[in-house]
Amino acid sequence: MKKRKILAMLLAAGMMIGCLAGCGGSAGAEEESTDTQAASTGAYPEKDISGIIQWGAGGGTDSLMRPLATLAEAQLGVSIVVENKTGGTGSIATQYVYDQAADGYTLLMGAENPQLYSALDILELTYADFEPVFLIGDETVGVVVSKNSPYTSLTEIIDAALASPGTVTLSTTGTGGLPWEVASFLTAVTGATFNQIPYDSDATAKAAVLSGECDFTICKVQSGIEDYKAGELKFLSMLATEPVEQMSEVPLITAEYPDFEQYLPWGPFYGVFVKAGTDQAAIDTLSAAFETAFNDASYQDLLAGFNINALGYTGDEAKEYLDNWQTNTITALVNSGAITKTLSELGIE
Amino acid sequence: MEILSYLTIPIQEPILILFVALGCFAGVYIGAIPGLSATMAVSLLVSFTFGWETHSALALMIGIFVGAVYGGSRSAILLNIPGAPAAVATALDGYPLAKKGYAGVAMGIATTQSIIGTLIGILVLALFTPVISKFALNFSSIDYLLLGVMGMMMAGSLGSKSIFRGLLAAALGVLLGTVGMDTMTATPRFTFNILYLHTGVDYVIAMIGLFGVSEALIQITHKDAKAVRQKIGRIVPSLATCRKHLPLTLQSSLIGVLVGALPGAGGDVAALLSYDTAKRSVKNPDVPFGEGSVEGLVAPETANNAAIGGAFIPMLTLGIPGDSVTAVMLAALMVHGLKPGPNLMNTSPDLFYLIVACLVLAAVFLVIFGLTGVRLFTKIVEIPKGILLPLILILSAVGSYAINSSLTDVFWMFGFGILGYFMKRYDYPVAPCVLGLILSSLLEENFRRGVMLNGSIGGMFLSIFHSPISVVLFVLILVMFTTQTKTYKSWRDKRQGMKKTQ
Repeated sequence: MKKRKILAMLLAAGMMIGCLAGCGGSAGAEEESTDTQAASTGAYPEKDISGIIQWGAGGGTDSLMRPLATLAEAQLGVSIVVENKTGGTGSIATQYVYDQAADGYTLLMGAENPQLYSALDILELTYADFEPVFLIGDETVGVVVSKNSPYTSLTEIIDAALASPGTVTLSTTGTGGLPWEVASFLTAVTGATFNQIPYDSDATAKAAVLSGECDFTICKVQSGIEDYKAGELKFLSMLATEPVEQMSEVPLITAEYPDFEQYLPWGPFYGVFVKAGTDQAAIDTLSAAFETAFNDASYQDLLAGFNINALGYTGDEAKEYLDNWQTNTITALVNSGAITKTLSELGIE
Repeated sequence: MEILSYLTIPIQEPILILFVALGCFAGVYIGAIPGLSATMAVSLLVSFTFGWETHSALALMIGIFVGAVYGGSRSAILLNIPGAPAAVATALDGYPLAKKGYAGVAMGIATTQSIIGTLIGILVLALFTPVISKFALNFSSIDYLLLGVMGMMMAGSLGSKSIFRGLLAAALGVLLGTVGMDTMTATPRFTFNILYLHTGVDYVIAMIGLFGVSEALIQITHKDAKAVRQKIGRIVPSLATCRKHLPLTLQSSLIGVLVGALPGAGGDVAALLSYDTAKRSVKNPDVPFGEGSVEGLVAPETANNAAIGGAFIPMLTLGIPGDSVTAVMLAALMVHGLKPGPNLMNTSPDLFYLIVACLVLAAVFLVIFGLTGVRLFTKIVEIPKGILLPLILILSAVGSYAINSSLTDVFWMFGFGILGYFMKRYDYPVAPCVLGLILSSLLEENFRRGVMLNGSIGGMFLSIFHSPISVVLFVLILVMFTTQTKTYKSWRDKRQGMKKTQ
């Protein structure tokens, strides 16, 4: 009996060693495969491509990427094997793609979050360490309250918050999330501060406003439009330079706070990226394939259904968009005091 | 009349029946493999069914959903590896039953109870949707905190005789639950600058390791022991058995539907809470809980399937998912051009009744797929250990990898397996550890939210008395607590003694 117990212990220990050995082994294998890829000179793509989605199955990013990948496959002639690698506000996926070879066979399918990683100390990487393949689109966001809310305009919320700082509650999705980002814009422009209550998803943050647990939140058009039509949620203001179709009666934020102009247009965006250093020819092939997929009527319908403002940017146009987005957002974060780093520390002029 | 025509859509389009059947069949097996989940399967279907007609896509997804929630009980009973977090409580009494040679009976009960649970869930979905969705929306952060506290109260008694050991295991679970990037402030905790710790500890991984791998390691010590011959007699439980457990079934279904309808808690919490409630409410089980009690199997299996109907309620009325599977289904509806939200029931009432009809069909197919394979499945327990144990380890590794396609998770899983082995060897229960992991974020996040909303801990405590839901939950906790104290027990014994002498 005793012998058997020892045997079990040895096996347990053996497994642990096996795990460690497995770790080293796989790293070695990866290096080898990189070498062979570098050596081959065939036309890109000659094997299946893997697409890494930063966010979970069923999320906004996932719902936009999977159909696009399905359509792009037809153009490339190889499969795009899509996987969700979630966690750490998308940083796990970002680091993973960065750790792969810059050969165009691993795509990062993500949202805006990496642009703030360095500002939030989540990761050293940002989209500056990647090359944009295709920017799909961005979303317009607005300030929303429940139908029973005493607030009838954004100015009323801001005035209440200025009168007694920290009492007006804002439901957010945590530091780095959309409502948190917009709150720092509001603080940078108006000086008002809010009691920010973090929830675990945008659906639960919205539910907190619907139930009256929080005073207001920031909603994408897509996630609030149905509640708006049903009269459950009121959009008080849109962070946009032009009125949103179907919601044209909602005032623009610049009507109440003209200083907001400098930060607009602004919204969470979605794009496909490869690691910096990838061969330009490969990027061009990918960009062309995604562009064709993007222009497919069925995909345009999907974008309209999700209320996404289609961008369709590639190359320099995409880079410029990314730079502007990052500069605007980080400037607001610094000015509002949401982050303690300075602009120069983050490499922004 | 219109409703009837919507409900009979699957009959008008018989292909839907086929899709539900296909989904249900696949779901049972996906659910049974630890790590593979309904969420994963349904999300794969979102892109797979992109070009499909909406009804067919939904039928397939619903079939998988119902099948997979049930399928989780299979591996829990046969191998002590819950196929999904909602089946953790199933393993507590299901596996001891299988060890005694009653795997067939256990699977039979799990099947019928799952079907009954599903049907009650559907009934509530069909009839009480407006009421329940209002209830779910009014469930505040403090209520979630109280729900979490209620769940934690079973830590001391889950799978162990010693309260101290149970608490220690639960504390370990809670501690492990805090590893990773705090989503509320984006601050890394216990991550030691290792990026792969940022995601934290996935409780499915912990579950596979603590339950499955540790059990395999333990059994290696008895590798030559003869497998228990399974008694294959009656598989479908008799009507009398069902009737005997009817009150418990109703109670568990109610817990299942209500907790399932909450956007912040799903089938896993529902199953654990109903198990705990059963433990408190069933006065004299034939076999004590944790040693193969039928009641301990009835409660969670009914509740986790009843939670399916519940999860659809906020999804269809508010556009807010009740759990992770309905979250993916919401996305699927949008990909198909539908607009989930408060108007969905008005703009596409057909969809609501189609979902109800498909759920009913899925319950029917559960009868077929659930009961036909049972005899074959019981053979799994009779496989010689030398073959079975490596298979369990392989299955565990594959399942853990599949969740996030991450090798790190496989290492975590084996780490938990070794931890679980030593915990079991030194008589510490592993179930409270998983309980702690499942509940830690529910407890912590809602506690912090409660304090932030009310400005202070005192303010949060006082706010309990502002909402009827909070008051009810608070009183329930007080009752649960006092009935466990020595003073109450001695008082009760004295009173019973007095009755007898009279």
